[in-house]
Amino acid sequence: MQMGFYFDQSRCTGCYTCCVACKDWNDIPAGPAHWRRVTSREWGTYPEVYLTYLSLSCSHCENPACAAACPVSAIAKRKENGIVVVDREACLGGDICGMPCKQACPYSVPQFGSEENPKMQVCHFCLDRLKENKKPACVDSCPVRALEAGPLDELKEKYGDGKEAEGFIYSLKTRPSVIVKPRYEKA
Amino acid sequence: MSEEKVVISSCPHDCGGRCVLKVHVRDGVITRIDTDDGEEPQLRACVRGRAYRQRVYAPDRLKYPMKRTGERGEGKFERITWDEALDTVDSELKRVKEAYGPTAIFYLPYSGNTGTFLHSQLAVFRLLTMFGGFTPHWGSASFWGSLFSSQVTYGTITTGHTRDDLLNSRLIIMWGWNPAETVLITGTSFYLTQAKEKGIKIVSVDPRFTDSAAAFASQWIPIRPGTDTAMLIAMAYVIIKENLQDQKFIDRYTVGFNRFGEYVLGEEDGVPKTPVWAEKITGVPAETIETLAREYTTLKPAALMCTGAPGRTAFGEQFHRALSTLAAMTGNMGMHGGEPAGFGFQPVGLQALSGTGLISGLITGNLPEGTAQKKGVHITKVWDAILRGKAGGYPDDFKLAYITNGNALNQFPNSNKGAEALRKLEFIVVHEQFLTPTARFADILLPVNTHLERNDIIRPWFSGPWYIYMNKAIESLYESKSDLEICIELAKRLGIEGYSDKSEDEWLRAFWKSAEETSSTKPLLDYETLKKKGVHKITLTEPVIPFREQIENPEKHPFPTPSGKIEIYSERLASMNNTKLPPIPKYLEPWEGRSDPLTKKYPLQLITTHFKRRIHSQFDNILLLKELEPQEVWISSTDALKRGIRHGDMVRIFNDRGEVVIPARVTERIMPGVVSIYQGAWFNPDKNGVDRGGCANVLTKDDHSPAGAFCSNNALAQVEKA
Repeated sequence: MQMGFYFDQSRCTGCYTCCVACKDWNDIPAGPAHWRRVTSREWGTYPEVYLTYLSLSCSHCENPACAAACPVSAIAKRKENGIVVVDREACLGGDICGMPCKQACPYSVPQFGSEENPKMQVCHFCLDRLKENKKPACVDSCPVRALEAGPLDELKEKYGDGKEAEGFIYSLKTRPSVIVKPRYEKA
Repeated sequence: MSEEKVVISSCPHDCGGRCVLKVHVRDGVITRIDTDDGEEPQLRACVRGRAYRQRVYAPDRLKYPMKRTGERGEGKFERITWDEALDTVDSELKRVKEAYGPTAIFYLPYSGNTGTFLHSQLAVFRLLTMFGGFTPHWGSASFWGSLFSSQVTYGTITTGHTRDDLLNSRLIIMWGWNPAETVLITGTSFYLTQAKEKGIKIVSVDPRFTDSAAAFASQWIPIRPGTDTAMLIAMAYVIIKENLQDQKFIDRYTVGFNRFGEYVLGEEDGVPKTPVWAEKITGVPAETIETLAREYTTLKPAALMCTGAPGRTAFGEQFHRALSTLAAMTGNMGMHGGEPAGFGFQPVGLQALSGTGLISGLITGNLPEGTAQKKGVHITKVWDAILRGKAGGYPDDFKLAYITNGNALNQFPNSNKGAEALRKLEFIVVHEQFLTPTARFADILLPVNTHLERNDIIRPWFSGPWYIYMNKAIESLYESKSDLEICIELAKRLGIEGYSDKSEDEWLRAFWKSAEETSSTKPLLDYETLKKKGVHKITLTEPVIPFREQIENPEKHPFPTPSGKIEIYSERLASMNNTKLPPIPKYLEPWEGRSDPLTKKYPLQLITTHFKRRIHSQFDNILLLKELEPQEVWISSTDALKRGIRHGDMVRIFNDRGEVVIPARVTERIMPGVVSIYQGAWFNPDKNGVDRGGCANVLTKDDHSPAGAFCSNNALAQVEKA
């Protein structure tokens, strides 16, 4: 079974609640490590203007390039749910290994704090919440329900298999476990 | 390790929302903040609420009482005991009262805690009132134009539909309305999401292409700041010319439509208020105005949604008067999906609490109303009043400022003048949680706890179908106390008898009992059950709409105005005989607008908006939020190009009142000729007096509209590369 995310860009208002809920729940301080990120794109010419936000965490890829790149195999994909996790004990630390996981990931998802030789950290789908049958903190925080999470097959059944949204490129190599819905239809 | 418990609370800030915070506590320490995952509609917290743990444990929380050791504003303090601090405040209050009289004490609270039953500025109102009086301020930085207009037109501020009724509209016009950032009632953004997905047409009229416009609207109509009334009046012109008004509704429920029509058609002043006339003023193409006017009458029921922003201008009340008039002349009320476009309080749940003086006569259940609030100073004139006193026509020569629940220097207009005024006073005491720009001017600084360190009860900001018991999650941190606890200690020293004869719990029980009298929804949950349950959602069988009785049976249920009808023409305004406050809504050319000669020197119109990572100036210091987006000035690519400014360049934004230096956000999302700064960034002047913090009020004018509206979207400025 593969767990995954659904992101509805047409709904996202760019409020960042998902990012901060994630940081609070997982006790990540202010600083460079962001397990979930919201980025924006603006285009067009006044007054024909377009604006989108993209909320993305680790997409728990089918073929995680980060895992393949790790020199000490500290990154693993769990068999039972496809969630990609990092063994922070085994991780050499970014200063030592040069963060090949981050370079290998098409979305630069692996995160590192500001401390010396930071160990890699990444979204683990709120495993603690999952145990209690709860969705990740980001999903349950969204004021407009632009995020959803669950078994990827079920999400596909409900929301289709969208791979295109502004600011997002579906990696055919890693096959991210995320379904997206764009704000604007492609012309 | 003890077990984790989950405590239900909310936020008491001036954000427009009242959401559920589920505070996880272990061993007396907050470990996480979660939100509502219960029954629908869920009251999910915003980004600021989710960062609350960081606010409670912020390294810069004020930990103990302090006294000033450096110059005012310098921020140099040393730790003192509570006894020394309270003794000093006690002796200064007594000294000033004896030497100059009680009205030389100026109380300057604001909206740091708002909508709460117990813990608020009212603790100090009560203390100073019982001490013998003080001078208060009046007005609001937010909604005064709307408050005034709603009372004139409808005789009440209870004019709002519950938000679920947006799904029954066929057209929603978001006029200067950006709930994606301002929340303005928990859940509003989700209702708009659903409305859009249902196929309801949503239009945004705004100088900026806001997050709300991008997420919800299918059309953005950019408009010059301060000219919204002209567009509304031109819409009325189209409606009248094409006979699209709801004449039956007008005849039955309103007064003065003909007088308004005479003005609109130009019979009164020879100027027909055509869409072409409005295009020159507003920058909105005439055809766009015509189309929207027609749609507003044909796509009925339509909801004309706004907040205070367009009304925070030189003649702000006219905007709100015109808005309500448009709603009334098209009969867009009294049915599901309509919207009277008044102040917006909802006739459900707990109503506003009376006697704060902020909205006098509306608030019950709080600490008893002060008796000394007869003569106040408008909030925009606070600095002028301190500087000029009686000689300037103000009630007194002020000697002592008592400041709580607010950051006046940052949030009232003309911050440089404010700093000068605060330097002039003999004594300043501030209750605060952080060393804000205002707190830096304190002589005595008293640390206040956060709402997670005390019990309270709160209702939705505009009332609404729920209420929340804010349970205390942890003990007060460091040496902090609540405003009420501080005042209890001061009352003892000042020799005030009977200041507080109740415990926190007893006060709340007493207020809860009296809330039953004013609540629109009865019975209220009993106190014990509410405290245990935390949040109580009132089940609605259908959306609640205002004026249902007035529309169904106007003879038996007149509108609470002098005429008993919706007053498009107001006799009360006519009797004031003020051409700047006319009896029918009119477009009046604002000072510091597009046609002001000052545009030669300062050609850009400045607006000051809310920011998603702050609530006014609160949360500006919280790093988890600060890292989300920088404080910037929005400038159009057209205006930036003319000035050689590129995205991210540091720029000077200045006028005669001051100068701010922050990075430029060069964007297509703002109308050329307009620049925008998020209000609330902390005022941080360098040694040359240039503000490096990005405080918008360095640039705003310390003046108000004829009815008392704040004018924070009404300033001219110039921008240059720094």
